[in-house]
Amino acid sequence: MSGIGTGYDLSVSTFSPDGRVFQTEYAQKAVDNSGTVVGLRCKDGVVLGCEKTIISKMLVEGSNRRTYAVDRHAGMAVGGVAADGRQIVNRASSEAQQYKSFYGDIIPGHVLAERTASYVHLFNLYWYLRPCGSAALIAVYDRDGPQLYLVEPSGTGHRFFGTAVGKGRTAAKNEIEKLKLEELTCRQGVLEIAKILHNVHDEEKPFEMELAWICDESNREFQRVPADMVTEANTKAKAAKDDSDMED
Amino acid sequence: MFRNQYDTDVVTWSPQGRIHQIEYAMEAVKQGSASVGLKNKTHVVLATLKRAPSELSAYQRKVFKVDDHMGVAMSGLTSDGRSLCRYMRNECLNHRYVYESPMPTTRLVRQIADKAQVNTQRSWKRPYGVGLLTAGSDKTGPKLFYNCPSGNFYEYRAMAIGARSQAAKTYLERHFEAFDGCTVDELIRHALRALSASVTDGELTAANCTVALVGSDTPFVILEDDDLEPHVAAFKDQDDGADGGDAGEMAVDGQAAGAGEADDAAPMDT
Amino acid sequence: MLARPTSHSSALGPGCAGPSLANPVSFDAPPKHQAQQPTSGAAPFMVEPSALAHQGGGEPTKRTQVPYVTGTSVLGVTYKDGVLIASDTLGSYGSTKRYKSVARLKKVNASTIIGAGGELSDFQYIMTLLDELTTDDYCMDDGVVLSPREIYNYMTRVMYNRRNKMDPLWNSLVICGFQDGKPFLGTVGMIGTHYTDEHVATGFGNMLARPLFRERHHPDMSEAEATKLLHDALRVCYYRDKNSINKFQMAKATAEGVTISEPFSLETNWEYKHFRDPTLNAVGAW
Repeated sequence: MSGIGTGYDLSVSTFSPDGRVFQTEYAQKAVDNSGTVVGLRCKDGVVLGCEKTIISKMLVEGSNRRTYAVDRHAGMAVGGVAADGRQIVNRASSEAQQYKSFYGDIIPGHVLAERTASYVHLFNLYWYLRPCGSAALIAVYDRDGPQLYLVEPSGTGHRFFGTAVGKGRTAAKNEIEKLKLEELTCRQGVLEIAKILHNVHDEEKPFEMELAWICDESNREFQRVPADMVTEANTKAKAAKDDSDMED
Repeated sequence: MFRNQYDTDVVTWSPQGRIHQIEYAMEAVKQGSASVGLKNKTHVVLATLKRAPSELSAYQRKVFKVDDHMGVAMSGLTSDGRSLCRYMRNECLNHRYVYESPMPTTRLVRQIADKAQVNTQRSWKRPYGVGLLTAGSDKTGPKLFYNCPSGNFYEYRAMAIGARSQAAKTYLERHFEAFDGCTVDELIRHALRALSASVTDGELTAANCTVALVGSDTPFVILEDDDLEPHVAAFKDQDDGADGGDAGEMAVDGQAAGAGEADDAAPMDT
Repeated sequence: MLARPTSHSSALGPGCAGPSLANPVSFDAPPKHQAQQPTSGAAPFMVEPSALAHQGGGEPTKRTQVPYVTGTSVLGVTYKDGVLIASDTLGSYGSTKRYKSVARLKKVNASTIIGAGGELSDFQYIMTLLDELTTDDYCMDDGVVLSPREIYNYMTRVMYNRRNKMDPLWNSLVICGFQDGKPFLGTVGMIGTHYTDEHVATGFGNMLARPLFRERHHPDMSEAEATKLLHDALRVCYYRDKNSINKFQMAKATAEGVTISEPFSLETNWEYKHFRDPTLNAVGAW
């Protein structure tokens, strides 16, 4: 049953008769309609990748960020409304900082994910707020090893081996399922994400990849993947795609 | 039902996953007269068209200095823009108090964007109705940013916003790759030529436009009226000299030397 | 710097934990109008209500009035292509040599080192402040990092702000680094007094080491000469300062970055005539 026109879909504090909160679902739509964001937990770390359509050729390359460090050992990639995503990032980094000043240790992944989820959830509770139109993939490397979480506009947070949000999420998830993540290194993961992003991207518009990782190679600090590696992955992924197109 | 139910409130998502109130706020930017910004390797130039509410009134100012190393040009609700500008001035002053150094442009722009986002998520607020072009020069070099009512911000090499800005944007898109090698005077001329494409009635004069400039060794300076006259004259000379639109590129090179002499007296050189 | 709650509170000024008022996240009903507050510093004249509590008859607020575990002098000299600072590694409990392996020189970021004397718990607090700032720089990832001079200025504001609240951080700091192709060296006192110079020393070192520096230091000396000078100054401090031990660290800031040495000790000679007979020239002593 669609909620459109019934009046049950105008406020986040209204349930529809069949028990749904439409405003939350609409916010999720904002994520579903925007650029794909992929996250992989490999055996030695986590890689996050974003597809960014280039809205103007006068944009400075690499601006309009989608991946953010939250602390040295944790970072995020946000899909959906970038401005809402930044607000989540800000909250997460102040949670990380407060945890450190209170407990004297870095914030563990599950705590960070839970607190971020609680924050996002708050926007689903009051008539005078709207849910965030963005989903956050959280990459953490703490003493329990590398972890990947996904926090959605509804305020749910789950831990994943690999996941994707955005326009190409279904195709991307299919491809992720084919990977052997427990054998994959982050270096290989970078290429796999590049391939996935190239596959799910619709040809017409130019796009830029933004990749970030946290692994042994990055000193267990959340960093952007080095530029030369991104370029290399980009060319390889493009070649792979052209090859498979030829076969078709 | 005729009326769109989803467009009266900033806290209501439409079934398509859009927020119409934010999109309407972005329309407000297009109601304001045009602003352009562009940069080369060392400097950023802002240029705006001004409007006067009546023949008897002065022109509404749209370019403001934030600090020695930063300034803004705005299109849309100027009053919203001025309150943002006041916030920026305050932040720059506080940064100078604590660190005795200029505030990094990227950081302040992000702060402004975060501030704008809050206005898109509270029912008792409305999004800012102004687009902000921020020009700054700090230890990371010259920077040009566009802050949007949605809380998004973008870093550009050249950009135009406001009424009929598409024409200016087209000009910039055709030429921006050459800006890096331009002199400051040439950059101003490019700005004026881009801006003149967006003029709605009459023509570009030193009275109805403002140019501002900031660079590594140039504190933010606003050029208006008499200070701007030589630049406008140089730009007009050049356009008259050129045969047509696309021959303009030749004219830049041909006339740059001659025009440069007149410009030596301009205050921006100090 | 993000507009959010940090130990660098906008409401209470640099060096005080508290809320940021510039961009509050409020889930409650529409807030009342408030005058805009700065997100950084700028409230040096703000009086904290609890400071006045005793005037109403309550207990006076307790502040750090005496330092407990303290470090002694920090010395620093610039040289041709960098700057060196040094200190011993002692944390004294009164005149007890209580902790003998305290690192009093700390790296702040890729171009800055800070050294501290005075209350060591306050220094640990200062390091949490600076760590927050560097982590912020890391998270922003925009190529902007605090320069040594900015950190120095920040510390002057923190120290002065805390003294204005009658709650000083009981430290003397030396901040050094390499910036714009030049060495930077400055010192900040516990009430916010500060200066930069080609050679600095805090505490006892100001009396014992600086005369040596004035005699022998020149800005274009080599690293070996500067090291020798610092070693000699440290040795003099060790001879005459009872709250010091023969275990030192030295830190270096150059264009290549910053390094802090492993602890080392110096050769000493206690056979000087005046050491053997300290009352020789002190008439009336016994």
